[in-house]
Amino acid sequence: MTSPVLEVRGVRKSYDNGRIEALRGVDLAIAEGEFLAISGPSGSGKSTLLQLLGGLDTPSGGDVLFRGEPLCPRALDHYRASKVGFIFQAFHLLPTLRAIENVQVPMLAAGRDGMNRAHKARALLRDMGLEERMQQYPNQLSAGERQRVAIARALANDPEILLADEPTGNLDSVNSARIMEMLTAIQDKRGMTLVIVTHENEIAEAAPRHIRIRDGRIHEEERRG
Amino acid sequence: MTVQLSFARFAWKNLWRRRLRTALTLGGIAMAIGAFVGLVGFSRSFEHEWLRMYQSSGTDFAVVQQTFLNTSVDESDGAKLRAIREVAQATPMILNLMDLTPEVNALAYGWKADSYEFDSLKLLAGRRFEDGKPEVMLGELLAESLHKKPGDILEIQGSPFTVTGIYHGGSALEEGAAILPIDQMQVLGSLQGKVTAFHVRLKPAPMGEPQDRYISRVQGEIQAALPGLRAVPAAERASNNQLVLLAQAAAWGTSSIALLIGILGIANTMAMSVFERTREIGILRALGWRRWRILMLIETEAAVLGLVGGVVGIGVGWAALRVLAALPKTASIVSASIPALLLAESLAIAMLAGLLAGAVPAWRGAKLSPVEALRHD
Repeated sequence: MTSPVLEVRGVRKSYDNGRIEALRGVDLAIAEGEFLAISGPSGSGKSTLLQLLGGLDTPSGGDVLFRGEPLCPRALDHYRASKVGFIFQAFHLLPTLRAIENVQVPMLAAGRDGMNRAHKARALLRDMGLEERMQQYPNQLSAGERQRVAIARALANDPEILLADEPTGNLDSVNSARIMEMLTAIQDKRGMTLVIVTHENEIAEAAPRHIRIRDGRIHEEERRG
Repeated sequence: MTVQLSFARFAWKNLWRRRLRTALTLGGIAMAIGAFVGLVGFSRSFEHEWLRMYQSSGTDFAVVQQTFLNTSVDESDGAKLRAIREVAQATPMILNLMDLTPEVNALAYGWKADSYEFDSLKLLAGRRFEDGKPEVMLGELLAESLHKKPGDILEIQGSPFTVTGIYHGGSALEEGAAILPIDQMQVLGSLQGKVTAFHVRLKPAPMGEPQDRYISRVQGEIQAALPGLRAVPAAERASNNQLVLLAQAAAWGTSSIALLIGILGIANTMAMSVFERTREIGILRALGWRRWRILMLIETEAAVLGLVGGVVGIGVGWAALRVLAALPKTASIVSASIPALLLAESLAIAMLAGLLAGAVPAWRGAKLSPVEALRHD
């Protein structure tokens, strides 16, 4: 295995003064360019693990490392802005902004200049097949279109890692298949690391590596190909 | 068309989404700034007119007792003043405020018929009054309000006074005033032998002596010659007399309350907005927006509210000043113009009010954890 781009060592996460333990000592290394699926029942800790990998939260114990260096809590904003792209089940688009503006939001955080932002957003939306829909507001888009805008947004700052939390959870089967096709194509084309949290076996089994989490621990791991 | 998202556009869109709430908040801050512009503009205008009055008559000093408007300066002190070598002219005057009719208030001056202060007035009709006679001259504005012309009778405190002339004055204070013989004012006010002040014109400064040093030296000489009296330079007297100070205090006091209400309005709007947008703030944080950027976004929205409210408020204040300048009761002490400094102050105060009001909601928004904010319903 090549050197891991992301690694967690003995990671624990508890809430409510330790009364709820979401993760109970997880060790995991994710190689650069790898496609990993994480599955497990509700409350198993899979989304918590994704949040820690993405620097949305900090562990109660253990370390999260990016390219061998522990994530510094003070530098998490920069890490999220430049190294990772998030895709959420509920899309999380900003309702007051048009599709093309939503894609520019992460670029504002990264300090890209204005025209550059707009051109990049247009190109990403074109890649997602949304050239004709980029002036629409989220409430004027279908669920599948919204998720494609969210994928474009996740790619806005050319991240090294794509983290998707139930990306097809709010989609019908046709749109689910289309989104998964897009994500794997992006991962393949860009050589990105892709981590998907899902409870759908079909999606989990499409990934070359699949881990199952139960009760805050890695319960099972499968590799294919 | 490629829509370019800027920070300012984003902030504006957030305000625009709740148009009614934004409009009501703008209305609140506009009223507050309108009150500030109207009231402070009124007091500044009042002060400015005082200064214009002294400047147009060429008065260098007003010699008064420690308390302005305390008409207890002895008229006989005039001889001592005139004996000072540097004094060119010293003329006694009485100042009072009169209710001429139920609708019209006016400043009333008591002057000697030979006062040098007449030099700055332009007689439009009639003639100057004579000392010792029940006669009165009216400023153009006051004559218009009272519908009086030379030869008409004006009743002052139950006594008939003949209007001898209509004049154009160097300031709104004179334009809207009545000037009576000082002896008649003394009779009307039971002030025989007393005057409000002496207005003093100095001879030119000797060659080689700077004007400010000359003024300061003569000031000392006057005060030494007349113990218990104060020689106040004209510019200082314009800004530092009781009427002006009272007007300023009332203006600042009232507009401070209005501003406080405006600030609370913006704070309420921003607090509600941050609460409603908790999840969106979580999204921004998840996308790598730093805390200070969230803080800046919310503060920008608050500052825009303040600034736009300020611009509207200046319009409201200007309209209020125009109304005041047209009303007979206030026309003599206010002009409709707004000084540039007051405009700049109003905009700065409006923006500062916005920033202040947005500070707590912005801080609360910025400290949200991305995970908790994303969970918010």
